Amino acid sequence: MTGHHISTYKTLLGVGGALLILTLLTVGVRYLHLPHPWAIIVAMGIAIFKASLVALFFMNLWWDKRFNTMLLLSSLVFFGLLVGFTLLDTLYRPSIIPGF
Amino acid sequence: MANDSTATSHPKYHLHHFVDAEQQFDSAKMGMWVFLVTEILFFGGLFAAYIVYRAWYPDLFTEASTELNTLLGTINTIVLIGSSLTVAMAIRAAQLNKTKQIAINLGITILLACAFMVIKYFEWTHKFHLGIFPGEFYTYEGIAHPKASVFFSIYYLMTGLHGIHVIIGIGLMTWLLIKALKGEFGSQYYTPVEITGLYWHLVDIIWIFLFPLFYLIE
Amino acid sequence: MATEASSNLKKVQVRRFKPKEEPEHNYLNAEKGIWSWLTTVDHKRIGVMYLASVVFFFFVGGVMALLLRTELWTPAKTFIEANTYNQLFTLHGAIMVFLFLVPSIPAALGNFLLPIQLGAKDVAFPKLNLLSYYLYLIGATIVVYAMLSGGVDTGWTFYTPYSTSTDGAITAMVFGIFVIGFSSILTGVNFITTIHKMRAPGLSWSKLSLFSWSLYATSIIQILATPVLAITLSLIAMERILGIGIFDPALGGDPVLFQHFFWFYSHPAVYIMIVPGFGVVSEVITTFSRKHIFGYWAIALSSLAIAFIGFLVWGHHMFVSGQATLASMVFSFLTFLVGIPTGIKMFNWAATLYKGSIKLQSPLLFIFGFFFLFLIGGFTGIVLGTIALDVHLHDTYYVVAHFHFVMVGGMVMAFMAGVHYWWPKMFGRMYNEMLAKIACLTIFIGFNVTFLPQFVMGAQGMPRRYYNYIEQFQIFHQVSTIGSYILGLGFLLVFIYLVKSLINGEKAPANPWGSRGLEWQVSSPPPQHNFNHTPVIVHGPYDYHQPMDEFQLGLAESGNGHGHADHQDIKIDRDEPNREL
Repeated sequence: MTGHHISTYKTLLGVGGALLILTLLTVGVRYLHLPHPWAIIVAMGIAIFKASLVALFFMNLWWDKRFNTMLLLSSLVFFGLLVGFTLLDTLYRPSIIPGF
Repeated sequence: MANDSTATSHPKYHLHHFVDAEQQFDSAKMGMWVFLVTEILFFGGLFAAYIVYRAWYPDLFTEASTELNTLLGTINTIVLIGSSLTVAMAIRAAQLNKTKQIAINLGITILLACAFMVIKYFEWTHKFHLGIFPGEFYTYEGIAHPKASVFFSIYYLMTGLHGIHVIIGIGLMTWLLIKALKGEFGSQYYTPVEITGLYWHLVDIIWIFLFPLFYLIE
Repeated sequence: MATEASSNLKKVQVRRFKPKEEPEHNYLNAEKGIWSWLTTVDHKRIGVMYLASVVFFFFVGGVMALLLRTELWTPAKTFIEANTYNQLFTLHGAIMVFLFLVPSIPAALGNFLLPIQLGAKDVAFPKLNLLSYYLYLIGATIVVYAMLSGGVDTGWTFYTPYSTSTDGAITAMVFGIFVIGFSSILTGVNFITTIHKMRAPGLSWSKLSLFSWSLYATSIIQILATPVLAITLSLIAMERILGIGIFDPALGGDPVLFQHFFWFYSHPAVYIMIVPGFGVVSEVITTFSRKHIFGYWAIALSSLAIAFIGFLVWGHHMFVSGQATLASMVFSFLTFLVGIPTGIKMFNWAATLYKGSIKLQSPLLFIFGFFFLFLIGGFTGIVLGTIALDVHLHDTYYVVAHFHFVMVGGMVMAFMAGVHYWWPKMFGRMYNEMLAKIACLTIFIGFNVTFLPQFVMGAQGMPRRYYNYIEQFQIFHQVSTIGSYILGLGFLLVFIYLVKSLINGEKAPANPWGSRGLEWQVSSPPPQHNFNHTPVIVHGPYDYHQPMDEFQLGLAESGNGHGHADHQDIKIDRDEPNREL
């Protein structure tokens, strides 16, 4: 079949190695006790980067038709809408009953 | 005019309603990506619940996550990343027509996935031992926060749903392994390996987010 | 096929393939026996099986509606106990929404027509298609089991904490709906891939039928929204089985969170239900005014706009639930916005009819009914989206009237139009046109008599889902009940003459309506593989000014059209007389 990208050992092992290092990094950062809100931002940033490596180079989106990447990104947009609009309610409730 | 649909002969994996193998492969890949979109939104509901509750009770999350074993979680993360690597190797082997290596890589992937489930089993049973059960069965007294059961409910729901997906993946890859051992995959046709691989990578990606969200809170 | 060195355009040889009239072999008789139906992967047979199933459940849900309306004849108990009444309205809603409306046009008509309209031989994943149908049946069986075994009385909306704490077969019911949702997701996966990958040569996006565009938009909503319903239903089950307290205040949870998750699906779900209907409207209006659609891209893209904006408005179901005011205001504003693309469609349809060569046949008459009724339904939706008004109208009959106007007056009328329009294509028979006109009028009158009074009594404060009511509302209820019987008679009449047409109806020509659509360029009923050639598309489906034979072109070569002709690079050279393109 034509047009299928075949990844090299170098690419696959390189990405695998990078994921390993990033995993150890994110565990290590946890023990740095970063001030709020940086701890969660850094943790999610590393997770997003790791997930992107998997998506781009293990799932081959880097070489694939752009539409498949659009599918992935749009699912994240809609997830964002679910969370965002729900928080618009849950974070802005008036505190009528103290300590609830 | 004669019905031409049986005119030419082609291999049994080439389905009639497709013009050629290229269209068939691309369609299968697109179909799997669309399905992965639904999986992302499926887990997304639980991630949304997590975010809502963590925003309401940040101290609960900090305190309760100390009950989770960071070392085991890290090992599991590395195990899953390894399994993603090996399934990518399996696809590469198929593309290069190295039929034996397809089976070997699939086999290692399955073993790593099973290792993940074993570690998960130990984590969960340890918690049950302490009385940390989901929902109304929660009896652990070790965490002061009154909403402690909510944290663990979300934990069990998310890791449980993820675990179910791992088990489904093991099943799929075992089926693939059997077919690979029979020599059914090669550079001409390896679509099921490709699309199962995509599914497996998503399972890995979901864990990549679950790990810091549950194990690395401080 | 040699590619010219000087340009990217491929030259292909085409010829005309005139559809056979009264074909001896078609998809209905290609294989015989019940097993061939149960194991079919032919999208047309699957579509017919879906059609039979959704019609069956429409009648089940309809009978429940008649029972409800009969009970409401008197203010106190008429002949049903209160608890039974609660179960009836729950099931009426759940069956109508999940077992009829959501699958109706996409699964029944869409499955049948989409591949043919795309010039394909089947959907991208035919076996997955059959699986979708079986999942639908299994889910439906579980729902019926739940209904009969413990009963469900929560309303189709399953609000917590009642749904997580009450007795009854709730867990089974939500599991059944979960399975049906999975069926819906797989259909969405199939349609999106089919529309992207299976179009015939020359069928660029600008030549796609508006029905196909509507199915595309619907499938996008299905794959993004239904999974959230799935997790929400799973959470209800988890809360019932394990006592997980995400939605239970006693266990630290929040019941409003359930409503967020539920409506994140259920509001887009109403667009899953109506957008395919919009597609049918476009097809019927163009055919019966023999005119190009006014504003093709406006209608095509407005379906996508509705799909997107429809995800941003769900909080308008929760204005009085305790939702934060900020969220309510945002949702209200966005609700006003979602009416705009629909309004654009209505104007464009009207403009299409203007100066068209109009044929007042039954499919178009159902569409006229749609116009009037959906207009009212849509406007009253905007009324309900206004927070101040909704505080008064929430959970009253005003809401009930609104959604019946859009779902029945809108969607079911469009479904009727579509079934009538494509009936000759699907079954090769014409139905009795006079009876169809009578039925259409009966349904229209019956519907208005049933639901117009409900706006009035709702605004006067009659709550919904109430088994008892005060004297002042009795006259409204009685008029409404009479209307419901007229409505039921109308649908019964449709069923009778359509079934009769299968037995001894006049045989249908390939193209009884003179449409330019691709599905009309094959015989009625279509051959088993839709096309015995590879169609080549040179015009859009609404180009009534082009001669009919230019819609019946196909690759002149023998063989199954193997060899890849890319959709983008087909060009007709008009000056060449011998049709070598």
